[in-house]
Amino acid sequence: MDGPAIEMRGLGHSYNGSPVLHNIDLTIERGEVFGFLGHNGAGKTTTVNILTTLITPTHGTALVNGYDVITDRRRVNAHIGYLPSEVRMYPHMTARENLTFFAELSGVESPNRAVAETLEYLDCSELADLRVGSFSTGMRQRIGIAQAIVHRPSVLFLDEPTAGLDPAGIRQLRRTILDLNADLGMTVFMNTHQLSEVSKVCTTIGVLNHGELIYKDSMEATMRRFPDEMSLEDIYVRMGGVPA
Amino acid sequence: MRTESRRRILAIAHHEMRAATRSGVLHALLGILIVATAGSVVIASAVYASRLADYQAYRAAAVAGGVTRIAPSPLAPLSLLRGAFEYIEIIGSVIAITLGYLAVSRERANKTLPLLLSRPVSAVELAAGSFIGALGVIATLAAASATVAVLSVGLIGHDWLNLTQVGKLFLAFIAAIVYMATFYSLGAYTAASSKAAANGLMVALGIWLIVVLLLPQIGDTLDADNQIPGGLFAALGLGHDGEVQILQHFATYETVRTSIEAASFAKHFERFAFAMTDVKERYRSLSFPDLLLQVRASIIWILIYAVTLPALMIRAFRKQPSIPQGANQ
Repeated sequence: MDGPAIEMRGLGHSYNGSPVLHNIDLTIERGEVFGFLGHNGAGKTTTVNILTTLITPTHGTALVNGYDVITDRRRVNAHIGYLPSEVRMYPHMTARENLTFFAELSGVESPNRAVAETLEYLDCSELADLRVGSFSTGMRQRIGIAQAIVHRPSVLFLDEPTAGLDPAGIRQLRRTILDLNADLGMTVFMNTHQLSEVSKVCTTIGVLNHGELIYKDSMEATMRRFPDEMSLEDIYVRMGGVPA
Repeated sequence: MRTESRRRILAIAHHEMRAATRSGVLHALLGILIVATAGSVVIASAVYASRLADYQAYRAAAVAGGVTRIAPSPLAPLSLLRGAFEYIEIIGSVIAITLGYLAVSRERANKTLPLLLSRPVSAVELAAGSFIGALGVIATLAAASATVAVLSVGLIGHDWLNLTQVGKLFLAFIAAIVYMATFYSLGAYTAASSKAAANGLMVALGIWLIVVLLLPQIGDTLDADNQIPGGLFAALGLGHDGEVQILQHFATYETVRTSIEAASFAKHFERFAFAMTDVKERYRSLSFPDLLLQVRASIIWILIYAVTLPALMIRAFRKQPSIPQGANQ
Protein backbone atom coordinates (compact mmCIF):
# COMPACT_ATOMS: atom_id res chain seq x y z
CA MET A 1 0.00 0.00 0.00
CA ASP A 2 1.33 3.44 -0.92
CA GLY A 3 1.18 6.70 0.98
CA PRO A 4 1.91 7.52 4.59
CA ALA A 5 0.81 5.30 7.46
CA ILE A 6 -0.91 8.14 9.29
CA GLU A 7 -1.97 11.51 8.02
CA MET A 8 -3.77 14.23 10.00
CA ARG A 9 -4.99 17.47 8.49
CA GLY A 10 -6.44 20.25 10.62
CA LEU A 11 -7.40 17.64 13.20
CA GLY A 12 -9.14 19.05 16.26
CA HIS A 13 -11.30 17.91 19.11
CA SER A 14 -13.33 19.49 21.88
CA TYR A 15 -14.90 18.01 24.99
CA ASN A 16 -18.14 19.79 25.90
CA GLY A 17 -17.03 22.86 23.96
CA SER A 18 -13.52 22.95 25.50
CA PRO A 19 -10.91 22.42 22.77
CA VAL A 20 -8.22 19.86 23.59
CA LEU A 21 -6.65 19.45 20.14
CA HIS A 22 -5.99 22.33 17.76
CA ASN A 23 -5.59 21.84 14.00
CA ILE A 24 -2.99 19.10 14.09
CA ASP A 25 -1.18 18.57 10.78
CA LEU A 26 1.01 15.53 11.01
CA THR A 27 2.24 12.84 8.66
CA ILE A 28 3.90 9.62 9.78
CA GLU A 29 5.54 7.50 7.11
CA ARG A 30 5.40 3.72 6.95
CA GLY A 31 7.94 1.90 9.08
CA GLU A 32 8.49 4.79 11.46
CA VAL A 33 8.49 4.43 15.22
CA PHE A 34 6.88 7.68 16.23
CA GLY A 35 7.11 9.00 19.77
CA PHE A 36 4.34 11.41 20.73
CA LEU A 37 5.48 13.48 23.68
CA GLY A 38 3.50 15.84 25.82
CA HIS A 39 2.54 16.72 29.36
CA ASN A 40 -0.54 15.27 31.06
CA GLY A 41 -3.67 16.59 29.38
CA ALA A 42 -1.76 17.74 26.28
CA GLY A 43 -4.12 15.75 24.02
CA LYS A 44 -1.99 12.67 23.27
CA THR A 45 -4.62 10.12 24.29
CA THR A 46 -7.33 12.07 22.49
CA THR A 47 -5.21 11.85 19.32
CA VAL A 48 -4.81 8.08 19.71
CA ASN A 49 -8.52 7.71 20.46
CA ILE A 50 -9.33 9.51 17.21
CA LEU A 51 -6.84 7.46 15.19
CA THR A 52 -8.19 4.21 16.63
CA THR A 53 -11.76 5.38 15.77
CA LEU A 54 -12.87 5.38 19.40
CA ILE A 55 -13.94 9.01 19.21
CA THR A 56 -14.93 11.20 16.29
CA PRO A 57 -12.91 14.40 15.83
CA THR A 58 -14.75 17.69 16.07
CA HIS A 59 -13.01 18.92 12.93
CA GLY A 60 -10.33 18.00 10.41
CA THR A 61 -9.46 14.66 8.88
CA ALA A 62 -7.29 11.72 9.80
CA LEU A 63 -6.27 8.85 7.57
CA VAL A 64 -4.70 5.59 8.68
CA ASN A 65 -3.29 3.47 5.88
CA GLY A 66 -5.15 5.82 3.55
CA TYR A 67 -8.53 5.12 5.16
CA ASP A 68 -10.57 7.86 6.80
CA VAL A 69 -11.13 7.29 10.52
CA ILE A 70 -14.65 8.73 10.30
CA THR A 71 -16.04 7.36 7.05
CA ASP A 72 -14.02 4.14 6.75
CA ARG A 73 -13.87 3.04 10.34
CA ARG A 74 -13.94 -0.71 9.70
CA ARG A 75 -11.04 -0.66 7.27
CA VAL A 76 -9.02 1.46 9.66
CA ASN A 77 -9.75 -0.98 12.48
CA ALA A 78 -8.75 -3.94 10.33
CA HIS A 79 -5.26 -2.46 9.92
CA ILE A 80 -4.48 -1.26 13.41
CA GLY A 81 -3.48 -2.71 16.74
CA TYR A 82 -4.14 -0.82 19.96
CA LEU A 83 -2.73 -1.07 23.44
CA PRO A 84 -4.49 1.30 25.87
CA SER A 85 -2.64 2.86 28.79
CA GLU A 86 -4.29 0.55 31.29
CA VAL A 87 -4.45 -3.03 30.04
CA ARG A 88 -7.16 -5.01 31.80
CA MET A 89 -8.65 -7.58 29.39
CA TYR A 90 -11.02 -10.30 30.70
CA PRO A 91 -9.84 -11.56 34.09
CA HIS A 92 -12.08 -14.66 34.05
CA MET A 93 -10.48 -15.86 30.82
CA THR A 94 -7.03 -17.31 30.20
CA ALA A 95 -4.53 -15.42 28.08
CA ARG A 96 -5.15 -17.83 25.22
CA GLU A 97 -8.93 -17.34 25.43
CA ASN A 98 -8.53 -13.56 25.50
CA LEU A 99 -6.23 -13.58 22.49
CA THR A 100 -8.36 -16.03 20.54
CA PHE A 101 -11.41 -13.84 21.11
CA PHE A 102 -9.63 -10.73 19.81
CA ALA A 103 -8.17 -12.68 16.88
CA GLU A 104 -11.67 -13.86 15.93
CA LEU A 105 -13.01 -10.31 16.11
CA SER A 106 -10.22 -9.17 13.81
CA GLY A 107 -11.16 -11.80 11.25
CA VAL A 108 -7.97 -13.86 11.58
CA GLU A 109 -8.34 -17.03 9.49
CA SER A 110 -6.75 -19.46 11.96
CA PRO A 111 -7.12 -17.82 15.38
CA ASN A 112 -5.57 -20.68 17.37
CA ARG A 113 -2.46 -20.77 15.21
CA ALA A 114 -2.15 -16.97 15.24
CA VAL A 115 -2.39 -16.94 19.03
CA ALA A 116 0.24 -19.66 19.45
CA GLU A 117 2.60 -17.89 17.04
CA THR A 118 2.10 -14.53 18.73
CA LEU A 119 2.72 -15.93 22.20
CA GLU A 120 5.84 -17.64 20.95
CA TYR A 121 7.03 -14.49 19.16
CA LEU A 122 6.63 -12.50 22.39
CA ASP A 123 8.23 -15.33 24.36
CA CYS A 124 5.31 -15.69 26.72
CA SER A 125 3.82 -19.08 25.80
CA GLU A 126 4.04 -20.05 29.48
CA LEU A 127 1.23 -17.55 30.22
CA ALA A 128 -1.16 -19.04 27.68
CA ASP A 129 -3.33 -21.11 30.00
CA LEU A 130 -3.29 -18.89 33.06
CA ARG A 131 -6.21 -16.63 33.89
CA VAL A 132 -5.44 -12.97 33.17
CA GLY A 133 -7.01 -11.99 36.50
CA SER A 134 -3.97 -13.46 38.27
CA PHE A 135 -1.39 -11.54 36.20
CA SER A 136 1.05 -8.86 37.37
CA THR A 137 1.21 -5.52 35.53
CA GLY A 138 4.14 -6.71 33.43
CA MET A 139 2.44 -9.97 32.45
CA ARG A 140 -0.76 -8.10 31.55
CA GLN A 141 1.28 -5.71 29.42
CA ARG A 142 2.82 -8.59 27.46
CA ILE A 143 -0.57 -10.16 26.83
CA GLY A 144 -1.88 -6.70 26.01
CA ILE A 145 0.74 -6.34 23.30
CA ALA A 146 -0.10 -9.84 22.10
CA GLN A 147 -3.78 -8.84 21.65
CA ALA A 148 -2.66 -5.75 19.78
CA ILE A 149 -0.54 -7.67 17.26
CA VAL A 150 -2.30 -11.05 17.04
CA HIS A 151 -3.87 -10.04 13.72
CA ARG A 152 -0.58 -8.59 12.39
CA PRO A 153 -1.69 -4.98 12.00
CA SER A 154 0.38 -2.60 9.90
CA VAL A 155 0.04 0.27 12.39
CA LEU A 156 0.38 -0.20 16.13
CA PHE A 157 -0.85 2.40 18.64
CA LEU A 158 0.64 2.27 22.12
CA ASP A 159 -0.70 4.64 24.78
CA GLU A 160 1.80 5.09 27.62
CA PRO A 161 3.01 1.50 27.24
CA THR A 162 5.67 1.76 29.96
CA ALA A 163 3.29 2.97 32.68
CA GLY A 164 3.59 0.79 35.76
CA LEU A 165 6.38 -1.39 34.37
CA ASP A 166 9.57 -2.14 36.28
CA PRO A 167 12.97 -1.54 34.59
CA ALA A 168 13.12 -5.12 33.30
CA GLY A 169 9.63 -4.78 31.86
CA ILE A 170 10.54 -1.49 30.19
CA ARG A 171 13.62 -3.04 28.63
CA GLN A 172 11.59 -6.00 27.38
CA LEU A 173 8.97 -3.68 25.92
CA ARG A 174 11.63 -1.63 24.16
CA ARG A 175 13.04 -4.78 22.55
CA THR A 176 9.56 -5.88 21.53
CA ILE A 177 8.79 -2.55 19.83
CA LEU A 178 12.07 -2.62 17.91
CA ASP A 179 11.46 -6.26 16.88
CA LEU A 180 7.91 -5.56 15.73
CA ASN A 181 9.18 -2.68 13.66
CA ALA A 182 12.12 -4.61 12.21
CA ASP A 183 10.59 -8.10 11.78
CA LEU A 184 7.01 -7.28 10.89
CA GLY A 185 7.48 -3.80 9.46
CA MET A 186 4.89 -2.29 11.77
CA THR A 187 4.56 1.45 12.02
CA VAL A 188 4.46 2.31 15.70
CA PHE A 189 2.72 5.35 17.18
CA MET A 190 3.64 5.64 20.82
CA ASN A 191 2.33 8.10 23.40
CA THR A 192 4.78 8.38 26.23
CA HIS A 193 6.25 10.36 29.07
CA GLN A 194 9.41 8.30 29.10
CA LEU A 195 11.91 10.45 27.22
CA SER A 196 14.62 7.86 27.75
CA GLU A 197 12.49 5.35 25.86
CA VAL A 198 11.81 7.75 23.03
CA SER A 199 15.50 8.33 22.45
CA LYS A 200 16.21 4.59 22.42
CA VAL A 201 13.29 3.42 20.32
CA CYS A 202 11.80 6.16 18.16
CA THR A 203 12.86 7.21 14.71
CA THR A 204 10.69 10.34 14.78
CA ILE A 205 9.20 12.46 17.55
CA GLY A 206 6.38 14.94 17.86
CA VAL A 207 5.70 17.22 20.79
CA LEU A 208 2.22 18.23 21.77
CA ASN A 209 1.71 21.19 24.08
CA HIS A 210 -1.80 22.14 25.23
CA GLY A 211 -3.33 20.51 22.17
CA GLU A 212 -0.93 22.08 19.68
CA LEU A 213 1.79 20.25 17.80
CA ILE A 214 4.87 22.37 18.50
CA TYR A 215 7.54 20.10 17.05
CA LYS A 216 8.01 17.17 14.71
CA ASP A 217 11.22 15.81 13.27
CA SER A 218 13.37 12.69 13.08
CA MET A 219 15.28 11.64 16.16
CA GLU A 220 18.56 12.12 14.33
CA ALA A 221 17.67 15.64 13.19
CA THR A 222 16.44 16.50 16.67
CA MET A 223 19.75 15.53 18.26
CA ARG A 224 21.60 17.52 15.59
CA ARG A 225 19.36 20.54 16.05
CA PHE A 226 20.00 20.74 19.77
CA PRO A 227 23.70 19.81 19.97
CA ASP A 228 24.26 21.57 23.24
CA GLU A 229 21.63 19.69 25.18
CA MET A 230 22.65 16.71 27.26
CA SER A 231 19.55 14.68 26.77
CA LEU A 232 16.19 14.53 25.08
CA GLU A 233 14.68 15.74 28.34
CA ASP A 234 16.64 18.99 28.07
CA ILE A 235 15.54 19.36 24.46
CA TYR A 236 11.94 18.78 25.51
CA VAL A 237 12.23 21.53 28.13
CA ARG A 238 13.67 23.94 25.57
CA MET A 239 10.78 23.21 23.22
CA GLY A 240 8.37 24.25 25.93
CA GLY A 241 7.05 20.76 26.68
CA VAL A 242 7.54 21.26 30.43
CA PRO A 243 8.65 24.17 32.58
CA ALA A 244 12.46 24.29 33.06
CA MET B 1 -25.27 -11.51 6.36
CA ARG B 2 -21.62 -11.39 5.37
CA THR B 3 -19.40 -14.22 6.56
CA GLU B 4 -16.99 -11.96 8.51
CA SER B 5 -19.86 -10.24 10.27
CA ARG B 6 -21.43 -13.59 11.17
CA ARG B 7 -18.10 -14.84 12.52
CA ARG B 8 -17.70 -11.78 14.70
CA ILE B 9 -21.26 -12.06 16.04
CA LEU B 10 -20.73 -15.75 16.85
CA ALA B 11 -17.40 -14.97 18.55
CA ILE B 12 -19.14 -12.37 20.75
CA ALA B 13 -22.01 -14.80 21.42
CA HIS B 14 -19.54 -17.48 22.53
CA HIS B 15 -17.76 -14.89 24.66
CA GLU B 16 -21.06 -13.92 26.30
CA MET B 17 -21.96 -17.53 27.06
CA ARG B 18 -18.54 -18.21 28.55
CA ALA B 19 -18.75 -15.12 30.75
CA ALA B 20 -22.22 -16.14 31.93
CA THR B 21 -21.14 -19.68 32.77
CA ARG B 22 -18.20 -18.33 34.80
CA SER B 23 -20.16 -15.73 36.76
CA GLY B 24 -20.69 -16.58 40.43
CA VAL B 25 -23.72 -14.27 40.67
CA LEU B 26 -25.41 -16.01 37.77
CA HIS B 27 -24.57 -19.44 39.17
CA ALA B 28 -26.35 -18.52 42.38
CA LEU B 29 -29.40 -17.10 40.58
CA LEU B 30 -29.61 -20.02 38.16
CA GLY B 31 -29.31 -22.44 41.05
CA ILE B 32 -32.26 -20.79 42.80
CA LEU B 33 -34.37 -20.91 39.63
CA ILE B 34 -33.53 -24.55 38.87
CA VAL B 35 -34.21 -25.67 42.45
CA ALA B 36 -37.47 -23.68 42.57
CA THR B 37 -38.83 -24.84 39.18
CA ALA B 38 -37.71 -28.45 39.54
CA GLY B 39 -38.92 -28.55 43.13
CA SER B 40 -42.36 -27.22 42.23
CA VAL B 41 -42.77 -29.71 39.38
CA VAL B 42 -41.53 -32.66 41.44
CA ILE B 43 -43.87 -31.88 44.35
CA ALA B 44 -46.83 -31.25 42.02
CA SER B 45 -46.07 -34.53 40.23
CA ALA B 46 -46.13 -36.45 43.50
CA VAL B 47 -49.55 -34.96 44.36
CA TYR B 48 -50.71 -35.69 40.81
CA ALA B 49 -49.66 -39.33 41.09
CA SER B 50 -51.86 -39.72 44.14
CA ARG B 51 -54.88 -38.08 42.41
CA LEU B 52 -54.34 -40.16 39.31
CA ALA B 53 -54.27 -43.33 41.41
CA ASP B 54 -57.56 -42.23 43.05
CA TYR B 55 -59.16 -41.64 39.65
CA GLN B 56 -57.97 -44.99 38.34
CA ALA B 57 -59.31 -46.73 41.47
CA TYR B 58 -62.74 -45.05 41.02
CA ARG B 59 -62.69 -45.92 37.35
CA ALA B 60 -61.86 -49.56 38.06
CA ALA B 61 -64.64 -49.71 40.67
CA ALA B 62 -67.12 -48.16 38.21
CA VAL B 63 -66.18 -50.62 35.47
CA ALA B 64 -66.50 -53.49 37.94
CA GLY B 65 -69.93 -52.16 38.92
CA GLY B 66 -71.04 -52.27 35.29
CA VAL B 67 -70.95 -48.51 34.63
CA THR B 68 -70.35 -47.95 30.92
CA ARG B 69 -70.27 -44.16 30.71
CA ILE B 70 -67.30 -43.03 32.73
CA ALA B 71 -66.23 -39.38 32.88
CA PRO B 72 -62.76 -38.72 31.52
CA SER B 73 -60.01 -37.81 33.94
CA PRO B 74 -60.35 -34.21 35.13
CA LEU B 75 -56.61 -34.12 35.73
CA ALA B 76 -54.36 -32.06 33.46
CA PRO B 77 -50.72 -33.14 33.73
CA LEU B 78 -49.42 -30.01 32.00
CA SER B 79 -50.97 -27.86 34.72
CA LEU B 80 -48.33 -29.25 37.08
CA LEU B 81 -45.99 -26.76 35.45
CA ARG B 82 -47.89 -23.75 36.78
CA GLY B 83 -45.33 -23.20 39.55
CA ALA B 84 -42.42 -23.59 37.15
CA PHE B 85 -43.77 -20.87 34.86
CA GLU B 86 -44.52 -18.59 37.80
CA TYR B 87 -40.89 -18.93 38.90
CA ILE B 88 -39.68 -18.24 35.37
CA GLU B 89 -41.96 -15.20 35.31
CA ILE B 90 -40.50 -13.79 38.52
CA ILE B 91 -36.99 -15.20 39.04
CA GLY B 92 -36.23 -15.89 35.36
CA SER B 93 -36.81 -12.25 34.49
CA VAL B 94 -34.44 -11.11 37.26
CA ILE B 95 -31.77 -13.50 35.97
CA ALA B 96 -32.27 -12.19 32.45
CA ILE B 97 -31.97 -8.56 33.62
CA THR B 98 -28.78 -9.47 35.51
CA LEU B 99 -27.35 -11.14 32.39
CA GLY B 100 -28.06 -8.00 30.36
CA TYR B 101 -26.54 -5.75 33.00
CA LEU B 102 -23.43 -7.93 33.24
CA ALA B 103 -22.94 -7.83 29.46
CA VAL B 104 -22.49 -4.07 29.69
CA SER B 105 -20.86 -3.67 33.10
CA ARG B 106 -18.30 -6.40 32.36
CA GLU B 107 -16.88 -4.46 29.41
CA ARG B 108 -16.89 -1.22 31.38
CA ALA B 109 -15.34 -2.68 34.53
CA ASN B 110 -12.66 -4.51 32.56
CA LYS B 111 -12.12 -1.44 30.35
CA THR B 112 -12.31 -3.75 27.35
CA LEU B 113 -14.89 -1.76 25.38
CA PRO B 114 -12.17 0.35 23.68
CA LEU B 115 -10.33 -2.86 22.77
CA LEU B 116 -13.50 -4.30 21.23
CA LEU B 117 -14.40 -1.16 19.33
CA SER B 118 -10.86 -0.66 18.01
CA ARG B 119 -11.48 -3.91 16.09
CA PRO B 120 -13.62 -4.04 12.96
CA VAL B 121 -16.68 -4.65 15.13
CA SER B 122 -19.80 -2.51 14.94
CA ALA B 123 -22.01 -1.68 17.91
CA VAL B 124 -24.82 -3.59 16.19
CA GLU B 125 -22.64 -6.71 15.95
CA LEU B 126 -21.70 -6.29 19.59
CA ALA B 127 -25.36 -6.05 20.62
CA ALA B 128 -26.41 -8.92 18.35
CA GLY B 129 -23.59 -11.17 19.56
CA SER B 130 -24.34 -10.45 23.22
CA PHE B 131 -28.05 -11.09 22.62
CA ILE B 132 -27.45 -14.40 20.84
CA GLY B 133 -25.06 -15.51 23.59
CA ALA B 134 -27.64 -14.69 26.25
CA LEU B 135 -30.27 -16.47 24.19
CA GLY B 136 -28.02 -19.56 24.29
CA VAL B 137 -27.81 -19.40 28.09
CA ILE B 138 -31.55 -18.82 28.44
CA ALA B 139 -32.46 -21.57 25.96
CA THR B 140 -30.22 -24.04 27.78
CA LEU B 141 -31.94 -23.13 31.02
CA ALA B 142 -35.39 -23.51 29.43
CA ALA B 143 -34.46 -26.86 27.84
CA ALA B 144 -33.20 -28.15 31.19
CA SER B 145 -36.42 -27.01 32.90
CA ALA B 146 -38.57 -28.60 30.18
CA THR B 147 -36.68 -31.89 30.44
CA VAL B 148 -37.05 -31.96 34.23
CA ALA B 149 -40.76 -31.16 33.82
CA VAL B 150 -41.49 -33.92 31.29
CA LEU B 151 -39.49 -36.50 33.24
CA SER B 152 -41.09 -35.51 36.56
CA VAL B 153 -44.62 -35.78 35.18
CA GLY B 154 -43.80 -39.17 33.65
CA LEU B 155 -41.65 -40.75 36.34
CA ILE B 156 -43.19 -39.26 39.48
CA GLY B 157 -46.67 -38.36 38.23
CA HIS B 158 -46.98 -41.68 36.32
CA ASP B 159 -48.55 -39.93 33.33
CA TRP B 160 -46.43 -39.45 30.22
CA LEU B 161 -47.30 -36.47 28.03
CA ASN B 162 -48.74 -37.14 24.60
CA LEU B 163 -47.50 -35.48 21.41
CA THR B 164 -50.01 -32.60 21.53
CA GLN B 165 -49.10 -31.86 25.13
CA VAL B 166 -45.39 -31.91 24.28
CA GLY B 167 -46.12 -29.47 21.43
CA LYS B 168 -47.97 -27.12 23.79
CA LEU B 169 -45.20 -27.40 26.35
CA PHE B 170 -42.66 -26.61 23.63
CA LEU B 171 -44.55 -23.42 22.74
CA ALA B 172 -44.79 -22.43 26.38
CA PHE B 173 -41.02 -22.77 26.77
CA ILE B 174 -40.41 -20.86 23.54
CA ALA B 175 -42.51 -18.09 25.11
CA ALA B 176 -40.37 -18.38 28.26
CA ILE B 177 -37.22 -17.94 26.18
CA VAL B 178 -38.68 -14.91 24.40
CA TYR B 179 -39.86 -13.52 27.75
CA MET B 180 -36.44 -13.81 29.38
CA ALA B 181 -34.63 -12.57 26.26
CA THR B 182 -36.81 -9.46 26.37
CA PHE B 183 -35.85 -8.83 29.99
CA TYR B 184 -32.21 -9.43 29.01
CA SER B 185 -32.60 -6.64 26.45
CA LEU B 186 -34.14 -4.42 29.11
CA GLY B 187 -31.17 -5.01 31.45
CA ALA B 188 -28.63 -4.37 28.69
CA TYR B 189 -30.56 -1.33 27.41
CA THR B 190 -30.82 0.42 30.77
CA ALA B 191 -27.20 -0.38 31.68
CA ALA B 192 -25.84 0.81 28.31
CA SER B 193 -27.97 3.98 28.49
CA SER B 194 -26.66 4.91 31.95
CA LYS B 195 -23.32 6.50 32.74
CA ALA B 196 -23.03 4.11 35.68
CA ALA B 197 -24.26 0.66 34.67
CA ALA B 198 -25.40 -0.03 38.25
CA ASN B 199 -27.89 2.84 37.96
CA GLY B 200 -29.23 1.17 34.83
CA LEU B 201 -29.65 -2.07 36.78
CA MET B 202 -31.68 -0.19 39.41
CA VAL B 203 -33.92 1.27 36.69
CA ALA B 204 -34.41 -2.17 35.12
CA LEU B 205 -35.28 -3.71 38.48
CA GLY B 206 -37.72 -0.86 39.10
CA ILE B 207 -39.43 -1.62 35.78
CA TRP B 208 -39.39 -5.33 36.67
CA LEU B 209 -41.09 -4.54 39.98
CA ILE B 210 -43.88 -2.65 38.21
CA VAL B 211 -44.30 -5.01 35.25
CA VAL B 212 -43.87 -8.37 36.97
CA LEU B 213 -45.25 -7.76 40.44
CA LEU B 214 -47.31 -4.59 40.79
CA LEU B 215 -49.42 -4.43 37.61
CA PRO B 216 -50.48 -8.11 37.60
CA GLN B 217 -51.15 -7.88 41.35
CA ILE B 218 -53.33 -4.79 40.90
CA GLY B 219 -55.19 -6.49 38.05
CA ASP B 220 -55.74 -9.65 40.11
CA THR B 221 -56.85 -7.72 43.19
CA LEU B 222 -59.41 -5.76 41.19
CA ASP B 223 -60.74 -8.92 39.53
CA ALA B 224 -64.27 -9.53 40.83
CA ASP B 225 -63.85 -13.30 40.47
CA ASN B 226 -60.87 -13.25 42.83
CA GLN B 227 -62.78 -11.71 45.72
CA ILE B 228 -63.55 -15.04 47.39
CA PRO B 229 -61.52 -18.28 47.39
CA GLY B 230 -62.54 -20.62 44.58
CA GLY B 231 -63.96 -17.77 42.51
CA LEU B 232 -66.97 -15.52 43.00
CA PHE B 233 -68.80 -16.67 39.88
CA ALA B 234 -68.24 -20.34 40.63
CA ALA B 235 -69.63 -19.74 44.14
CA LEU B 236 -72.69 -18.13 42.56
CA GLY B 237 -73.04 -21.15 40.27
CA LEU B 238 -72.48 -19.10 37.16
CA GLY B 239 -70.61 -20.37 34.12
CA HIS B 240 -68.50 -18.33 31.69
CA ASP B 241 -71.58 -16.92 29.93
CA GLY B 242 -73.11 -15.78 33.20
CA GLU B 243 -69.82 -14.17 34.20
CA VAL B 244 -69.68 -12.28 30.91
CA GLN B 245 -73.29 -11.14 31.30
CA ILE B 246 -72.67 -9.72 34.78
CA LEU B 247 -69.41 -8.05 33.88
CA GLN B 248 -71.18 -6.18 31.07
CA HIS B 249 -72.71 -4.05 33.82
CA PHE B 250 -69.20 -3.06 34.95
CA ALA B 251 -67.77 -2.40 31.49
CA THR B 252 -65.73 0.72 32.38
CA TYR B 253 -64.35 -0.90 35.53
CA GLU B 254 -63.37 -4.01 33.57
CA THR B 255 -61.80 -1.93 30.81
CA VAL B 256 -59.59 -0.12 33.34
CA ARG B 257 -58.71 -3.38 35.08
CA THR B 258 -57.82 -5.26 31.90
CA SER B 259 -55.87 -2.23 30.63
CA ILE B 260 -53.73 -2.33 33.76
CA GLU B 261 -53.09 -6.02 33.15
CA ALA B 262 -52.49 -5.47 29.45
CA ALA B 263 -49.70 -3.01 30.29
CA SER B 264 -47.83 -5.86 31.93
CA PHE B 265 -45.62 -7.90 29.65
CA ALA B 266 -45.38 -10.51 32.40
CA LYS B 267 -49.16 -10.93 32.46
CA HIS B 268 -49.22 -11.66 28.73
CA PHE B 269 -46.52 -14.27 29.16
CA GLU B 270 -48.44 -15.77 32.07
CA ARG B 271 -51.70 -15.89 30.11
CA PHE B 272 -50.00 -17.58 27.16
CA ALA B 273 -48.02 -20.06 29.29
CA PHE B 274 -51.06 -20.92 31.43
CA ALA B 275 -53.20 -21.42 28.32
CA MET B 276 -50.58 -23.76 26.81
CA THR B 277 -50.20 -25.75 30.02
CA ASP B 278 -53.93 -26.24 30.75
CA VAL B 279 -53.79 -24.21 33.95
CA LYS B 280 -57.04 -22.45 33.03
CA GLU B 281 -59.83 -24.98 32.73
CA ARG B 282 -61.65 -23.10 30.00
CA TYR B 283 -58.76 -23.63 27.59
CA ARG B 284 -58.45 -27.39 28.11
CA SER B 285 -61.22 -28.42 25.72
CA LEU B 286 -60.12 -26.11 22.89
CA SER B 287 -58.44 -27.34 19.75
CA PHE B 288 -54.91 -26.11 19.18
CA PRO B 289 -55.86 -23.45 16.54
CA ASP B 290 -58.73 -22.23 18.77
CA LEU B 291 -56.33 -22.03 21.71
CA LEU B 292 -53.92 -19.85 19.74
CA LEU B 293 -56.85 -17.70 18.63
CA GLN B 294 -57.91 -17.20 22.24
CA VAL B 295 -54.47 -15.96 23.28
CA ARG B 296 -53.70 -14.01 20.12
CA ALA B 297 -53.72 -10.68 21.98
CA SER B 298 -51.04 -11.93 24.37
CA ILE B 299 -49.00 -13.32 21.47
CA ILE B 300 -49.12 -9.94 19.73
CA TRP B 301 -48.14 -8.06 22.90
CA ILE B 302 -45.28 -10.49 23.60
CA LEU B 303 -44.00 -9.98 20.04
CA ILE B 304 -44.27 -6.18 20.32
CA TYR B 305 -42.18 -6.19 23.50
CA ALA B 306 -39.80 -8.80 22.09
CA VAL B 307 -39.04 -6.62 19.07
CA THR B 308 -39.03 -3.23 20.81
CA LEU B 309 -36.65 -4.00 23.68
CA PRO B 310 -33.87 -5.55 21.54
CA ALA B 311 -34.21 -2.58 19.16
CA LEU B 312 -33.78 -0.20 22.10
CA MET B 313 -30.80 -2.26 23.25
CA ILE B 314 -29.11 -1.95 19.84
CA ARG B 315 -29.77 1.81 19.88
CA ALA B 316 -28.22 2.13 23.35
CA PHE B 317 -25.17 0.10 22.28
CA ARG B 318 -24.72 2.40 19.28
CA LYS B 319 -24.92 5.51 21.43
CA GLN B 320 -22.74 4.14 24.21
CA PRO B 321 -19.42 6.03 24.31
CA SER B 322 -16.39 3.79 23.69
CA ILE B 323 -14.48 5.64 26.39
CA PRO B 324 -15.60 7.98 29.18
CA GLN B 325 -15.80 11.45 27.62
CA GLY B 326 -12.87 13.64 28.56
CA ALA B 327 -11.60 11.04 31.00
CA ASN B 328 -8.05 11.15 29.76
CA GLN B 329 -6.71 13.58 27.24
